[in-house]
Amino acid sequence: MSKVIGIDLGTTFSVVAVMEGGEPVVITNAEGSRITPSVVAMSKSGERLVGQVAWRQAITNPENTISSVKRLIGRKYDESSVAYDRKLLPFKITKATNGDAKVMMGNKGYSPAEISAMILQKLKTDAEAYLGEKVTEAVITVPAYFNDSQRQATKDAGQIAGLKVLRIINEPTAASLAYGLDKKKDETIAVYDLGGGTFDISILELGEGTFQVKSTNGDTHLGGDDFDQTIMDWLVDEFKKDQGIDLRQDKTALQRLKEAGEKAKIELSTVLKTEVNLPFITADASGPKHLNITLTRAKLEQLVMEMVEKTIGPVKQALSDASKTTAQVDEVVMVGGQTRMPLVQEKVRGFFGKELHKGVNPDEVVAIGAAIQAGVLKGEVKDVLLLDVTPLTLGLETLGGVATPLIPRNTTIPTSKSQIFSTAADSQPSVEIHVMQGERPMVADNRTLGRFMLDGILSAPRGIPQIEVSFDIDANGILSVKALDKGTGKEQKITIAASSGLSKDEVEKMQRDAEVHAAEDAERREGIEAKNAADTMAYTAEKTLREQKDKIADELNKEAEDKVAAVRSALAGDDIKAIRQSTNELSEVMQKIGAAVYQEPSSEGETPEGGEAPPSKEGEEGTVEGEFREV
Amino acid sequence: MIQQEPEEDQTTKVTQEVAEVKEIELIKKALAEEKTRAEGYLASWQRAQADFVNYKRRTEQDRQEMGKFANSVLILSLLPILDDLERALDSVPPRLAKLAWVDGVRLIWRKLRENLQAQGLTPIVSEGEPFDPNLHEAAMYSKGREGVVVRELQKGYKLYDKILRPAVVAVGNGKGTRKL
Repeated sequence: MSKVIGIDLGTTFSVVAVMEGGEPVVITNAEGSRITPSVVAMSKSGERLVGQVAWRQAITNPENTISSVKRLIGRKYDESSVAYDRKLLPFKITKATNGDAKVMMGNKGYSPAEISAMILQKLKTDAEAYLGEKVTEAVITVPAYFNDSQRQATKDAGQIAGLKVLRIINEPTAASLAYGLDKKKDETIAVYDLGGGTFDISILELGEGTFQVKSTNGDTHLGGDDFDQTIMDWLVDEFKKDQGIDLRQDKTALQRLKEAGEKAKIELSTVLKTEVNLPFITADASGPKHLNITLTRAKLEQLVMEMVEKTIGPVKQALSDASKTTAQVDEVVMVGGQTRMPLVQEKVRGFFGKELHKGVNPDEVVAIGAAIQAGVLKGEVKDVLLLDVTPLTLGLETLGGVATPLIPRNTTIPTSKSQIFSTAADSQPSVEIHVMQGERPMVADNRTLGRFMLDGILSAPRGIPQIEVSFDIDANGILSVKALDKGTGKEQKITIAASSGLSKDEVEKMQRDAEVHAAEDAERREGIEAKNAADTMAYTAEKTLREQKDKIADELNKEAEDKVAAVRSALAGDDIKAIRQSTNELSEVMQKIGAAVYQEPSSEGETPEGGEAPPSKEGEEGTVEGEFREV
Repeated sequence: MIQQEPEEDQTTKVTQEVAEVKEIELIKKALAEEKTRAEGYLASWQRAQADFVNYKRRTEQDRQEMGKFANSVLILSLLPILDDLERALDSVPPRLAKLAWVDGVRLIWRKLRENLQAQGLTPIVSEGEPFDPNLHEAAMYSKGREGVVVRELQKGYKLYDKILRPAVVAVGNGKGTRKL
């Protein structure tokens, strides 16, 4: 089954998204970018260029570079907006035989739908490359104020590009879908869309699962680009005041200023002041000149305040046209890159008196909504069952009262995980599986879910038996824990009901506690690990000394025995430093012994364990060790 | 009387048959529903599996790309500084040009450039070349041979085989030059 892609076909740039694994994902284009300029051009050699490449040569080829074709799609040549845009757009716009607006590119006439189709074609190809499969269907978004003719023309564009357009949806509706607002009951939603070149406000009403557009308004020539221009103008004026040179005469300097201004604007959304630092911006008779101006957020807000306030008028008008008061608006959604600016958010929040929906990337939110709609139409979204996650880490108790995690929290279920454990003491006949839930490293601080024993373990030195413990959570959140002795084949298991009644608050409290105690927990855990390591070291040392007695020189033997005693006495106390120290010293001696034993002709090919301790932890009877991580 | 019994048997038999037929129909219907449901589950499973496989493949691809291009963001952010350093060296006042100190700064610039080159950075040749939007971004028209890059306003760079930053250039408009 092929995927349906969601396309935000914008005036200045377009975005494509698709549902994957039940979640919307924005598709990266062939150039590695998540946005594609809505620009098409015919180069002098007759080559057709689309996207970033077309944008780059726009200045050298203005008559054959078509941008902002969305302003013309589905419109008649005689419409007033077309007349207005004809003055602004550098390419030729003519009248088709049926009265439609038509564009000239490379001496040939194209309908705006054909131009949009070229953009859609590129988006389709890039999506196919990304997904690794053919794409034949799409959902495309249009402004809420588009009329039938404009919608049909957009659909035609899709068809020309080889895409079956399953649906044309409104941009504000798509944005609402991206925030999951369709799950709510009857509501009034305001969508505030401040992009690069245009401002749109839409009032929607959600009723019985469908969105209805109540009113729209906006300013088709107000956007982030105007903010950038204002900043650039200010920088030029400041520089002129300061150094007496008008940078407007210097195209190269203007280029750098434009970029630096935009960068500063973006930075000021997160910091309170930034430096615009442009060394060698220009030069005059007296030498090179540098631009170094500090721009504060306060100053920036002063500069753009008028433009931001200009958006409020259309909002008021839209509300009045929809016969709604600000109090009657239930949700406010932010769309468009410029809405990242704190001042814009403040103004909108202040006007509506509500919190804003702004968590989704405002440049991508419309495409994401289109992808969600595509998923719904394909029946993908309703089939998703796998939305649950385990709220807390699940694990079991290992040597020293340590909680060893098996399934970390926020793992999507169903899921399963196994790990091999072993015994802590020689000839240990059984292991206890103590299943726990929680984030703390120590058993005592976590919650017990269940316990069971697995016995009949054959007599063997510690660390040798292989007990495979498996945790399995099904789609309903029911946990089964199984312990299998790989040697005897004996198996035991228990089943634990889903989340065993922990409320959301309790879960959050456990998570918070873990954070608060993180430092001391880490220390305690390290202490235990040091102890376990010391114990293991001592055990193996004793074993080696016993088995290799003949091969070891007497004094070395004595030294080792002393060190072992030191470790054992340190273990009796709680001084972690002393434990670590004595362990290291013992390790050094054992390595010397190992070297000595290897020098001796080996007997029966037996390999001494020397300073190597099997990676297992020592401990009390009945506790399962935690090592033997087999992959 | 004897005759009635067979009649009764007949009726009971018919009722039984009707009941059986009805039951069979119900079972058939239930079976059809279950079949549809099962097919739905299979389809969802296959889809989820396919999504997963694709996601794995793409993650693997991304990971390999990251290996090579992990530094691209960092290097991109260093380019304006490299630009400024070059501007500084390009505009050394003549009376200072002989200073050893200036030589020192030049050596530092070379070191920075070599360091970046070792990490895969190569400059894009632009001046004198035919304008190519795959490599160059046209910022303005200028006097000069048509379609040829007349002046470079900002150096462009490639990282391995990908464009990291296009060269910003002035393209000739065919005016002000003697036609050959």
